[in-house]
Order: sequence, then C-alpha cells, then structure tokens
Amino acid sequence: MLVFSLFLWWYGRGWLAVVKNLRNMLRGISRLFSVPQLLRTLLAPWRRIISYPGASLDAKLRAYGDNLVSRAIGFIVRLIVLLTALVISLLAVIFGIVSIVAWPLVPVAIVVLIIKGITA
Amino acid sequence: MSSPSINLRSRRARQARLGHLLGRHTFSLGLWLSAIFIGGASLIYATSYQRLAYFAWAVGLFSFMIGLWYRNDLARLPVSGSSLDQRLSSDALGRLGVRQTLSPRSVWHSLRDHWQATFLANHLLLPTNTIEQQLSTDQSYMDKAWQEAVRLADLTDSPAIEPGHLAAAILNTSPAIQTLLKQLKDGNNDVEQIVVWLSRLLSSQRATEPYFGGIGRDWAYGFTPHLTQYGQNISLAIEQNGAHYGWLTASPGVQSIKKAFAQGDPAVALIGEEGVGKSSHVHALAQLILEEAHDRNLEHHQIISLNPSLIVSRAREPGELERIVVTLLEETIHAGHIILFLDDAQLFFKSGVGSFDITQVLLPIVQAKALQLIIAMTPHDYQQLKTDNAAFADLLTPVVLTEPDEAAVMRVLEDTASNLEANRQVLISYEALREAYRLSGRYEQDVAYPGKAIRLLEQSLTHANNSVVDTGSIQAAIEQTRGVKVGTAAPVEADQLLHLEETIHQRMVNQVRAVSVVANALRRARAGVASPKRPIGSFLFLGPTGVGKTELARSIAATYFGAEDHIIRLDMSEYQQPSDVSRLLSGGNQEKASLILAIRQQPFSVVLLDEVEKAHPNVLNLLLQLLDEGQLTDTTGRSASFRDSILIATSNAGANTIREHVEKGEELEKFEKQFTDQLISSNQFKPELLNRFDEIVLFRPLKSEELLQVVGLMMKEVNSTLANQNITVELTPAAAQEIVKAGYDPRLGARPMRRALQSAVEDSIAARILGGQTKPGDHVMLDASDLTTTRESG
Repeated sequence: MLVFSLFLWWYGRGWLAVVKNLRNMLRGISRLFSVPQLLRTLLAPWRRIISYPGASLDAKLRAYGDNLVSRAIGFIVRLIVLLTALVISLLAVIFGIVSIVAWPLVPVAIVVLIIKGITA
Repeated sequence: MSSPSINLRSRRARQARLGHLLGRHTFSLGLWLSAIFIGGASLIYATSYQRLAYFAWAVGLFSFMIGLWYRNDLARLPVSGSSLDQRLSSDALGRLGVRQTLSPRSVWHSLRDHWQATFLANHLLLPTNTIEQQLSTDQSYMDKAWQEAVRLADLTDSPAIEPGHLAAAILNTSPAIQTLLKQLKDGNNDVEQIVVWLSRLLSSQRATEPYFGGIGRDWAYGFTPHLTQYGQNISLAIEQNGAHYGWLTASPGVQSIKKAFAQGDPAVALIGEEGVGKSSHVHALAQLILEEAHDRNLEHHQIISLNPSLIVSRAREPGELERIVVTLLEETIHAGHIILFLDDAQLFFKSGVGSFDITQVLLPIVQAKALQLIIAMTPHDYQQLKTDNAAFADLLTPVVLTEPDEAAVMRVLEDTASNLEANRQVLISYEALREAYRLSGRYEQDVAYPGKAIRLLEQSLTHANNSVVDTGSIQAAIEQTRGVKVGTAAPVEADQLLHLEETIHQRMVNQVRAVSVVANALRRARAGVASPKRPIGSFLFLGPTGVGKTELARSIAATYFGAEDHIIRLDMSEYQQPSDVSRLLSGGNQEKASLILAIRQQPFSVVLLDEVEKAHPNVLNLLLQLLDEGQLTDTTGRSASFRDSILIATSNAGANTIREHVEKGEELEKFEKQFTDQLISSNQFKPELLNRFDEIVLFRPLKSEELLQVVGLMMKEVNSTLANQNITVELTPAAAQEIVKAGYDPRLGARPMRRALQSAVEDSIAARILGGQTKPGDHVMLDASDLTTTRESG
C-alpha cells in the first residue's frame, strides 16, 4: 500500500515538483546575478563614477570622455555577469529537462534492474 | 458544534506514520545510500559480479526515491480536508498510533517529546511528566480537545493543526490542568498566547528566504567609504544577520515612513518617547525596503545610521567637523541610494559637548530634496527644534510613534524572549513576560513601552534561577535597580513586617497608636492589598512639637525603604504664595526644591510635608490630586508617580487641645473624632483634604518617664559613636533625671533633649578622653555630679 502511495506521488505531485524546481532554479539564478537590475542599468556609469562638465568646451569634452569610459566599464562588467548567468541558466535548463524526462523512468529502471539482476 | 472525526487508518494517516518512522534524516540518508549503492554498483559491474551490481543499482535508485518522497511529501503532507486526519499536520498525525486509545493522557504522551509541546510546557514552567500525570484517560474528553485544537489552528491562521495546537488544546480542556495553572497564577489565556507566539515562530521558520537583490544590486550606485566609516549600515546588518522585524514592517509607523518617501518627501521626523521603538521601526523599514520595495524612491535603498560621537571625536582641528559633515552629505547625495538616519537627533541640532548643529548645512539640501533623511527625536526635542529652527522643522514630515498597547508589547517581549533564549541559553516563562510588562509599567516611568519592559527582561537574566527566568527573577531585577520590594515577602521579611511595631519602638518611645496605624498600612501595602493607584500610605500626623512625628517618618523610611535617607522633606511654610505651586511642579533642573524632581530621583521614599497647614490653599489642592491619583503632572506635561511613596503630612494644629485632653487623662482614640471636627470647624483644614488621608494620627505629649526612655535611646547613639574608640558610657538614674530636667520644655517636647545630652554627656566624655582619664576599653559611669556642664547651663 505504501509503495503504491510512493508511486502515486512519484507520477503525480513529485513529477510536478521537478518542473517547479526547475522554475525556482532559474528564478534563483536570475536573482543571484541581479539580471533585471543589470539589464535595466546596462549602460549606466560604473558605481556612479562620473565627471561633472566644466564651463569650457575642453572640460566638457573631457568629462564626456570620462563618463563614456565609466559607462563602458559598467557595460563590460554587467555584460560578463549577464553572460555568466545565461550560461548557468542554460545548464540548469538542460539539467531540468533531463530530470523531467528521466523522472518517470526511475521506477521503471528499478524494476528492469531487479529483473536483470534475477535473470543475469 | 459537532465533534470532528478522525480516521487513523486513512492513507494520509498511514503516510504520516511512515514519515514519523523514517525520521527527519531520511532525505540525507537516502541520498547518501543512493550515492554509495550506485557508486559501489558501478565498481562491482566492472568485475564479474554483474548480478549484484544490478541489485545495488536498484537499491540505490530506490533509496533516492524514498529520500525525495520524504523531503517533498511525507515530511509535510498537504492539508486536504476538514476531517482531523486530513487537517492534522504530519508531525502530529504521525505520532498517533493506529491502535492507540485516544485520551488526553495518551495523546499528550505521544506529543510530549515534540519541540512544540515542550515549548508550551516550558513556558508554563510545567514539567511534561507532571502534565501527563494530571491528564485524564477518559476518551470522551478528547471531543472537546479536538474542537479546541481546531479553534486554536483557526485562531493562528494555520491550515494545519500543529502539535502545538493539539498540546495546547489538551491543556486548555483539562480541568485538572486548569486548576494547576490557576494555582500557579497562570490563566487559560497564557496557553493561548503561547500558541500564538509559537505560530509566529513557525511562520518565520518556514518563510522563504528573503531576496535582497543579488550581486549586482549596488553597481548602479556610488561608493560610500566615509559613510561606512562614520555610520552603521543597518540594511547591510540585516542582510548579514537575518531579518527579525517581520510583523513590525506592517506597522502603521513603518508604513507611514515608507509612504512619505514614496510620495517624494525628503525628510521624516520620527517622533516618540524614549523606548517606544524608533530605532526598531527604522530597522523594520530597512528590512521592508530590502525585501519588497519596488518604488523608485526606495528600491535598493540602504539606511545608514550616523554616529555623532565618532564624528565629533575625529574632528580635531577647527573646521574639520564641518568638513566631515559636508563630505558625508555629499557622499550620500552622490551614492543615490542612501537614506541617512540620525538617531538621537538632538545631538545633530545643538552645539555643545558631544553634539553639533548641522541644520544650516542640511536646510538647503533638504529643500532641494537632494537626499533622504530620517530623524528620530522625542516630542520635547521636536518642539525644541521647531522653536529654534522653524524653517528646517517645517521641511520634516512628522511620523508620531505612540506607546503600543499591551498586546503589541507582549508580542515584542515574546520575540525578545526567543532571541534571549537562543543566545543566552535561558528559559523565560510566560508569566515572567507578563510580570516584566506589569512591573516596568509601574516602576519605570522615564521610558516608554516596549523599551522599558525589554530592559527589565534583560536585567532579569542575571537573576535567573538554574537558567530559568521566572516572576521572581523579574521582581529581583526591579528590586535591585529601583530599590523597591515587589516580590512576595520572604519568611524573614514577613516576620519583620509582622513585628514592625517592635522594630519601630526600638527607636521610638510610646506613640503606640500612631505606630500601630502606620504599621498596619505598611503591611497592607506589602501584602498587595492596598490600591496600586494611590501612595502606599498617606498619613496626617497631628501633635505638639518634639513628640516623635519626624522620628516616626524616619523610622518608616529606614524600615520600609531600607535607609533613613529615603525621605523627601519639604517645609510647607515655604509654600505660602499661589505662585509656589509652579515651584513644586517644576520639571526642569533649575528648581532644587521641586517635589516632582525629588520623587523622580527617589520614587521609593517617605514624602514628609512639615507644617502642612501653613501651605497656600492652591498647594493643598495639589495635595488632593496627589492623594487621589497617586501622581502629579509637571509644568512640561510629564507625570511623576507617588504610588511607591508613603506620604506623611505633619502639623502642630490643635497641639494645645491635644495636650489639654491628655492632661485630663483621656485616651487619644476617644477624642480623635471630636478633635478632627474641631480642625474643620476652625477652618484649619478642609474636610476634603482630611478625608483623603488613609489615617489621621494623633501624637500625645511625652510623660517624664517616657523622656527617660528617650534619654536611654540617645545614649545608645552616643555609645554607637564611641564604639570606634572602644569606650562605653552609662548614666546613673540620677544623671538621666538631671538631663531630662535640663532638656525638657513643655512647648518643645523632647527636642531640646539632644542639645542637653550633647552638652552634658558628650562634652564631659570629650574632656575625659583629652585629659587622659578615659582610655580605650574603659566603661564610664556618669553620675549627676559628673554632669557639671549641665548644672552650669541649667
């Protein structure tokens, strides 16, 4: 009876839990790497390190250049982190799909292995 | 209400029992076993034992399945119906055996090892075994218990009936346990409150981990090196140490601050008395912002509390202080995600030792809405700021924090107790929490709730008995810090109280009735029979000068409050003008004679109002309020309690009448009523004033034999002074008579006696010591002839 309960859970709520875990994993990766925040501020200056434009054209151009560098640094750092998050998310998706597909096969595998063990 | 049904053979009940049987390590054990078997099988497969490898793989996979099943299902079976077996949590249901007879005792026995049942029993200070012995074995009692468990689960918004609910329901429905709790002064309500506390703990344990923003959260904001140096990042502390302000985040105070910032207000003045929880509200706001603020004005914002002492200590050169402040403000503006918190804000708004005024620097910045600021201050300091710098004060959005009600304070105390129990390895009974609330409310008037109750609870830890903080620990803490006796009288002290008259008579001669009246009042107060909303006792002492009125007041201070200096003495003849009322009520420091200031400094005192009849009627009206309500309100609106004091007013009014009656041989009790009526009819006292005293006590003039006893008491004092030199002095009866003769004055009673003794005995002994006639270890017997000074002066 209890084995029946186990199988009932395995092919019911258990299987759904695997899907839910995959979703949670992807959300966790997105949160860990601050994905929405980084996308929103992708081109923002790095840690607000900026120069304020002076009165002369030369000073304005220099400030513009400095700020461009700050934005470029910010963009590069954020892009690297976003790419890392993307790679890890892809790995998580692959692992999740494999888990979802393999999940129903586990009980079958046990039966098959026992039969193999008896007949080998 | 129909009794809920339970089917212990249902599939859910069987699964719950299996889960209980497997235990909480099943998941990790399952994973380990699967790793070992699958790894081992792979090694075996490489050899010739392939059949064994297949079985090992199968076992490994099965262990894996069981581990996952336990973790995702058996450990917390979902609630799926209204019948008991569907609604009981797997923890509770799994402990009930299929063949078990369900009686209160058997169910408690099944639950008693569960931490929730232990939590309940521990906080009631009832051993689980004692509870079990008291419970009935009658199955019919369970119907009520099940209904109560359902009620408690509903009360705490819990979908499942947890072991704590069931355990509490058994206690609440057991007549024997109820009797036991009543004997221990614990009511039914405490069990319910502990369950609510337990449910809150469960919710916080099961809450999903909060999301604070991830690794890139702060990359769009500026660095804050100086702010980090001169302040404390409250948000960071919450991130690192965990969030503990769950329910406070939803409080009106925190929501008001959030709303003010969300609307674009730059600065909030958080106004509340000391102890009301201003800092806690700011911590709760920091947690709220970290967890769920999606508003642009608050998202990813961090709260940094500035440390004024550190800023002042680092400013060694002139002008450096201003430079530091400007740097900090610039950094805040530039960072773009900092809310500055100025705790004890008055230190930032006035110049003095350890403080400095930054309003002029802040004013343009706040006007331009360039930063966000929270300023915590008391109502008094806020009024001061409005007076001193109205332009700046007008820019602040005031959020007023009022003292929370009892339920909210108890919730704070429960959370504090949980932290203290975890960090200090103690157990705090629920009754102790209630006592902390009660006693801090009564004796800590300078600080507001919940601060004062928390402080008392923390102080009581040092009085824990075998790591248990109970009501006795709380009482001991308040007794030590406030110098008042609040606990049940110990046998020795009870004996002292019962024989109070004898103790007082060791230093007072006669006045038997006065001493008896006062002793009865003190016993009533100590036994908790007297009204807690009035002074412990209030007496009007009437009688001639020098008969022991002041001495009795001193004796009371020494006996009840432990020292003679626990006395606040006011000469009421100095309060004869209407304007003197404000002098009595002044709350500031400038009035040395202020009664309010004196009672705040020493609330556990005898308040002695000498010559009360000479005070102005306005002052006497104040006395009416004091006797009625046990408190007075000072000129700034703050009240001061006299509920822990003994009020004694003395008067010589009618002294001659008393003397005449006594000389006729009448007993005091017989003419007391008539005498009081005379005082009223002669307009010396208003009836409403006399009626408000607990007792009007008449003192009679001392007789000559009593004056001899007074001499004896004074000689004890002389001998006590000479004890350092190891010299003792004794008077012959003739010498004592000589002193009475020299010192007695019918108008002044025994008062001149001390002077007479001083000039006769003390001078004589001094001359003997200096002349070498008396040496250490000598016993000196003085006769009348030795008291030359007395004779000369007499």
